[in-house]
Amino acid sequence: MRLATIVVAGFAVSVVGVLVGAWWAPFTVGLVIGIVERKPRLAIPLGAGIGLAAWLLPLGSAQLHYGLGAAARSLAEIMGFGKQGAIPVVLTLMVGVLLGLCGAWLGSAGRKVIAPTT
Amino acid sequence: MANLVAAVLVSAAVLYVTFNGAGPLPALGPAFNPTTGAWTMAADAQVGNQTLHLNGLSQPATVTLESDGTAHIVAQTAHDLFLATGYVHARFRLFQMDLMRRQGEGRLSEIVGSAALDTDKFELQLGLLRTAELEWSQLPQGDSTRAAMEAYAQGVNDRITEAESVHHLDPMFALLGYQPKLWTPIDTLIVKGDMTQTLNFTDTPLLMAQLVKALGPDLVSQWFPVLPPNPQSPYDPGPYPAATSAPIETMGSVSDAEAQSASTLYQRLSALPAGLVATGGASNNWAVAGSKSASGGALLGGDPHLHLTLPAIWFQLTMDAPGYHASGVSIPGTPGVLIGHNQHIAWSLTDAQNQQTFFYEEQEDSAHPNQYFWQGAWHQYTTVSYDIPVLGGTTNHLTVKLSVHGPAITERGQTTSVWWAGNLPSQDFTAILHMGQASNFQEFRDALRDWHSPTHNFVYADDQGNIGLISAGYFPLLPKGSQPWLPMPGTGENDVTGTIPYDAIPQAYNPPDGIIWSANQRQVTADYPYYIGTASNFFDPGYRANEIHRVLSQCSVAGIFKQCPTKLSAADMMSLQTDTRDFLASEMVPILLKSLAGNAQPSDQTAINLLTNWNYKMDTNSAAASIWWTFWQTYISQSFDPWWKAKKVTFAPADQVRGASPAPADVNADLGQYLEALALKGLTVCQPPGCTGPAPICPPGANCIPDTQGAGPRMVGAFEATLATLSRQLGSDPATWAWGRIHTRQLDNLAQISGLNYGPRPDRGDANTPLAAGGFPSVDGPSWRMVVDWGAKTFVGIFPGGQSGNPASSWYTNHVDTWWSGLYAPMLTADQATAAGGSKVWTLEP
Repeated sequence: MRLATIVVAGFAVSVVGVLVGAWWAPFTVGLVIGIVERKPRLAIPLGAGIGLAAWLLPLGSAQLHYGLGAAARSLAEIMGFGKQGAIPVVLTLMVGVLLGLCGAWLGSAGRKVIAPTT
Repeated sequence: MANLVAAVLVSAAVLYVTFNGAGPLPALGPAFNPTTGAWTMAADAQVGNQTLHLNGLSQPATVTLESDGTAHIVAQTAHDLFLATGYVHARFRLFQMDLMRRQGEGRLSEIVGSAALDTDKFELQLGLLRTAELEWSQLPQGDSTRAAMEAYAQGVNDRITEAESVHHLDPMFALLGYQPKLWTPIDTLIVKGDMTQTLNFTDTPLLMAQLVKALGPDLVSQWFPVLPPNPQSPYDPGPYPAATSAPIETMGSVSDAEAQSASTLYQRLSALPAGLVATGGASNNWAVAGSKSASGGALLGGDPHLHLTLPAIWFQLTMDAPGYHASGVSIPGTPGVLIGHNQHIAWSLTDAQNQQTFFYEEQEDSAHPNQYFWQGAWHQYTTVSYDIPVLGGTTNHLTVKLSVHGPAITERGQTTSVWWAGNLPSQDFTAILHMGQASNFQEFRDALRDWHSPTHNFVYADDQGNIGLISAGYFPLLPKGSQPWLPMPGTGENDVTGTIPYDAIPQAYNPPDGIIWSANQRQVTADYPYYIGTASNFFDPGYRANEIHRVLSQCSVAGIFKQCPTKLSAADMMSLQTDTRDFLASEMVPILLKSLAGNAQPSDQTAINLLTNWNYKMDTNSAAASIWWTFWQTYISQSFDPWWKAKKVTFAPADQVRGASPAPADVNADLGQYLEALALKGLTVCQPPGCTGPAPICPPGANCIPDTQGAGPRMVGAFEATLATLSRQLGSDPATWAWGRIHTRQLDNLAQISGLNYGPRPDRGDANTPLAAGGFPSVDGPSWRMVVDWGAKTFVGIFPGGQSGNPASSWYTNHVDTWWSGLYAPMLTADQATAAGGSKVWTLEP
């Protein structure tokens, strides 16, 4: 139950954060998860997953509403990847993943140092 | 603990890169955030019906967007019209506008780093910002132009505020990590300054100084004369009023120190990005009187040739308000229609090419530090200081020194000042707005009195069948004895004393033959009493103008040419705008074929047959076109390269640029747009007997006696070399040497993102054809084609690009294929656009 609460709340905070421009929200949420959840093997994937979902949801929504093909190809061209539109999509999602993952990892590692037995 | 350290380090690295970016990576977080970053370009590309509330709008207005993006703005007051125009420009082109103002204001380094520092320093030295501020200060309160620019700025700022609030700023802002500052009328004047600079800030006197030093005054006078050596088609044949000044003198000499200083300064200017120094022009316009047209009304064709970019320099729109109606193209960042038509008149422009840039060598003395000697006394340089913020670096401080002539730069101990007409206040927007309100030639001509720089050939046609052309702008006057084609002494004796009176500048109205045209050629004959510039500074050699004149003339004489109607139509105007006939080829190829007769190798026959049967059209599938162009470059190279080498003309890296490429590249551009071709053509055609011109080109050191064989043997040699080159490059069968295999065209992305370029694609035309396509690939050309038929009341136009600067928009390149095919789109009225299917309407409310 506690885990489910963490996941739902963390996901909600992350998504709202990204929607209002606080793109770093998954890192903060991941940090909290890392501190709260005792098992790093659970906390870190959770953080990464929430980061991914928080960035994926608005991107998916934009795809449904407007179609992202032309934008993805343009971004790939701007970044020097030719017409490989998948690359900016993957890079974008990686940012979300990394933010959540790093936050959770840092939280877990800190928790272990500060409260090693709990 | 080790785990914590690793987590801290990795997290710090990820946060650093996401917040700040690293190396070529932008700040990944804000740049790629799906809801506020660059991905919003997908949402921004969608345009629908909308109701918008704009600050500053006094009454409701509408913007109708055709299915191709063409905008029709209808407002109830002039203020609202310009405000809405600012909003619409910014909605589609804000990043382009910001780049243009940053270029002129010397603020590019702030967003791209030290790579742009030289450009920024140059711009601040040249003084676009100072001129814009001065122009703005001279516009009185209550002036209608001032009000228009203020309203326009308000509209731009309405869009900036809106875009920031909904996170729909151009994606480049997100990727570069900055927000645009608010727009001001001075920014508008800066954008105008950018265009003035790219069209008429020239460095030719610096080049001429080096040429005179290397080749000597006699040879330079012969090869780079004041008056063009080939037959031209001036649109204003005279008679001319008597002159008050005529400073055409023989070529003077240049000292070592002067040449070295000029060389250093020239190299510095040459290192700047393309477009900051004008290197030549290529635009066409013409008009046909109602008496010569099939419809009975006057015809007008106009196609200004510029660097073709994505997004394009132009934004197409109609502007409607009480007292102002204009339809055509505007430059984002500026209010008003620059080329187009209203209910009664149509107009277009080409660059006039007269000399508006003069260099002065200031006299200095160690006993008078920071001073220069002028008009018999020592004067202190004034200075202006600037801070140039540099992305990722420290702010650069720049102090600009100014003499009475203009900005001064010291190179190798010699201080040179630049007098540039673009630095004089010129209320061009007053002229543009009044031009748009004119209903006859008198009003049109009066409006252009306020136009000073850049000098343009404004063509005119009205709904009463009248046509006209006037080269509006400053034609500076210098004292007798001056040598304005070289850097001149700055002591006062050679200062600009005034300008040619408006009534005496080149112009024509309703000429007897009913046609009028300009294509950057010298506008007047050798009888014109004023100095307006040398052939190398840098009037077009005139081949396009000659071809246009040829076509309009033959078609205006009923029945002579069966392909021409007895009267000209709008369709003829369109054909002429995409005419690929090379006038120079039509004169030179017969001479070449004559030289080859009996002198060529048997294996050359296929190529000779191709040339013999050629119609001189530089069409994509023409093999003869490839042979001609390669031959001509080879011929020029073989004639002149020995001279450049012998005389150590180091700025013309002939070997580098000529090699395997058929491109004239930098040599011709450096020498003043095909000047060597011009000179050589004149010399080659002039064959003995009966030759009264200069001796034919012969190798340096050779005995240059009259060449009884003419140019024949040299032409044959160049032809053999041409076939060898093309065989290596394209294979052994001349029939397969299609022009499109070596000649392509490309539209460059404005932000220099090569992946967002269009092309290169095989394309027709060359530097001499009305459909201008010089270069390999060609990156300049007809930036807007417009044809008006007042009799049929038809107005058509097209530009290569699209209305939107957003690469994800369907309006980014949607006009390109139409333009490439030589087709046009109708220029609708606002009512027609509303009635057309697929339009979107924005309702603008206060």
